[in-house]
Amino acid sequence: MRPYFFESRYRQLQAWAIPAPRQPAASMQPRQQPLSEPGPRGRRPVAPLLALLLLLALQRTGAAPAGPGESEKPGDNQEAYETAYEDYDYGLPSEFELPPWFSNLKTPGGPLLPEGILRQGALAAVHFLNFREGSPSDLQMLSTVYRASVWETAEKEQHVDVAFTTERFKPEGDKEKPLAECAARVIFRKGKPRPAVNIYCEGLAEKNKRQEDYLLYKHLKQLKPLLGVVHIPDRNGYIDPSLRPLWDLAALGSSYVMWDKTTNVLRYSLVQLTSVKQWKTDGEIDFDYTVQLHEFSTQEIIPCRIHLVWYPGKPLKVKYRCQETPGQASEVEEGSGGMVLTELTNN
Amino acid sequence: MKWILLFGALIVPSICGREKFSGDQVFRINVRNGDEISKLNELVNSDHLKLNFWKSPSTLGLPVDVLVSSASLQPVTVFLQSQGLDYSVTIEDLQIYREMDSIAGDFPDLASRVKIGRSFENRPMYVLKFSTGKGSQRPAIWLNAGIHSREWISQATAMWTARKIVSDYGKDPAVTSILEKMDIFLLPVANPDGYVYTHTQNRLWRKTRSHHPGSSCIGVDPNRNWNASFAGGGASDNPCSEVYHGPHANSEVEVRSVVDFIQEHGNFKCFVDLHSYSQLLMYPYAYTDKKAPDADELDKVAKRAAKALASLSGTRYHVGSICSTVYKASGSSTDWAYENGIKYSFTFELRDTGHYGFLLPANQIIPTAKETWLGLKTIMQYARDHLY
Repeated sequence: MRPYFFESRYRQLQAWAIPAPRQPAASMQPRQQPLSEPGPRGRRPVAPLLALLLLLALQRTGAAPAGPGESEKPGDNQEAYETAYEDYDYGLPSEFELPPWFSNLKTPGGPLLPEGILRQGALAAVHFLNFREGSPSDLQMLSTVYRASVWETAEKEQHVDVAFTTERFKPEGDKEKPLAECAARVIFRKGKPRPAVNIYCEGLAEKNKRQEDYLLYKHLKQLKPLLGVVHIPDRNGYIDPSLRPLWDLAALGSSYVMWDKTTNVLRYSLVQLTSVKQWKTDGEIDFDYTVQLHEFSTQEIIPCRIHLVWYPGKPLKVKYRCQETPGQASEVEEGSGGMVLTELTNN
Repeated sequence: MKWILLFGALIVPSICGREKFSGDQVFRINVRNGDEISKLNELVNSDHLKLNFWKSPSTLGLPVDVLVSSASLQPVTVFLQSQGLDYSVTIEDLQIYREMDSIAGDFPDLASRVKIGRSFENRPMYVLKFSTGKGSQRPAIWLNAGIHSREWISQATAMWTARKIVSDYGKDPAVTSILEKMDIFLLPVANPDGYVYTHTQNRLWRKTRSHHPGSSCIGVDPNRNWNASFAGGGASDNPCSEVYHGPHANSEVEVRSVVDFIQEHGNFKCFVDLHSYSQLLMYPYAYTDKKAPDADELDKVAKRAAKALASLSGTRYHVGSICSTVYKASGSSTDWAYENGIKYSFTFELRDTGHYGFLLPANQIIPTAKETWLGLKTIMQYARDHLY
């Protein structure tokens, strides 16, 4: 399916790895809160004050029974913090407006699912975001999950609506942490990788991105990375500043791989860039490399060979092959071994 | 190298100008006769091997300690074996064991270093016992660290905590009052063989380094090896898996050493296991999604602890039972502790949430240790106030 972008005051990214779901039947609609956003379901921006009031109202009048310790009024930070834990809801930044499709369930519409799935969803969304944004200078990492709802449909799909903040990857020592706020719906088909992601973010630095990407590109052109075995970061988590752009580019390609491999039970983090097989920089950057991914729940370290072609502003091309792990649990059907070469362009 | 240097600076302030020798090992050679002494002298005189003899091979009956750089490991091993010399390899990361010794030495009335067993590769398992004395088998707290060797922030946090306990006793009312009523036992390196291996061969090694007959791969996941729903779901029977549970419960001598010690003591009230990464504070059960009988209370304590932790730098931890927060896992330490009468059992997954993961940069050690300490204190204080 071709992904497409909405033109709107807020950036919205969509991709459907499976055919876009049809409008769900009324019986499958997640229960709406009585005070969901009024007015037509458009992208007409709601005045900030009204949005704030709505958010507070939504938090206070949830359909869920009050958990132990939940206070009547939001009150001071202390109480809100306690409540946030109860409902997996830390209190969204007040200017952030949840999109109309975001479910406001406090209890799932289906059978109770473990909280781990919420992190699955958030991480898949961030990997997808990084891949789609295609900007090695503006990679995001998951910061805090603010609110989440999860439910399972009759077709055994797990729907996760998750609101979270992301931080930019920054070199150590940088105190400033610019945050983007995101809301995503992630749909897992049981046991199958490459979840459908619909993500919507505010605060991604649109203007600077292009410039920074170009600077990164120029830096990379001058780089003569060691072909062969490398360790970036090294075993103490240290990345030489001159090699940082190389790692950023490797991470960009890895984001695609990690999203593509994520299932409802398997998720991934990038551990280390461990070898550079090929590096060409005349015109586009042609980068063939190996990374180690940490596969969560099996705890395996998976080497993946990735080949990407990148030029600032142009679509990212990436293909990969991951090694089948020796100790792979038999429940995981996703065959990451063998020759799974997935070619994809960014548009 | 920053991590190692910072770590070194943290814990061995007295050693000046000495670079930490990472990847190096200390060979202890038992010289049995004059012939062996002269063979050893051959080794001493070999310039290219760059060995560092801490005790010179002159006296019979006294073992000789040699610091061997990682580059020379192979030739030295070959030499010793071919000459038939009797040797053993002591703990590579000398700094941790020497620091433990140093803490015990600096605060003899409060701290002592206790050997509770040996690892598969014959390394000692050392625990620091903090006790204000009076009476045996006082109610106790067990702090476990480094069971998964690649989670370096765990061992580092434990060592910082050890220093913190002895420094703050008598000054911080919380620590002082905890130690008035309870003993604290701290195991900073629950998996010494794995820890050495992460320094010498594979930074991402997780398991023990045990060899079991018939197994094609090395190592058992020590946190699937405890006798709590052993070999249930959430562990693997494949020896090559990172979550291999082992041939039977307590097959790993590292696990058995802790089990035996705790059971013999008989009066532990609190058990905390430090891991990384994910920023989570969790309680039983791991092996089932059924609610533990004390889940509500443990949840309350965990939330308080997470809040205390966050108060320092805003680091957010999620709280919940292990099974519902991460995944089902059988044979875990926390479940075993809980089912053996240790009500206040918790697992920490320390920083970060995946950006650096296991390779957490050195400049995050102290902030992590400091905030974790606030969480630990909350738990220990609660245990102190709710002895049963």
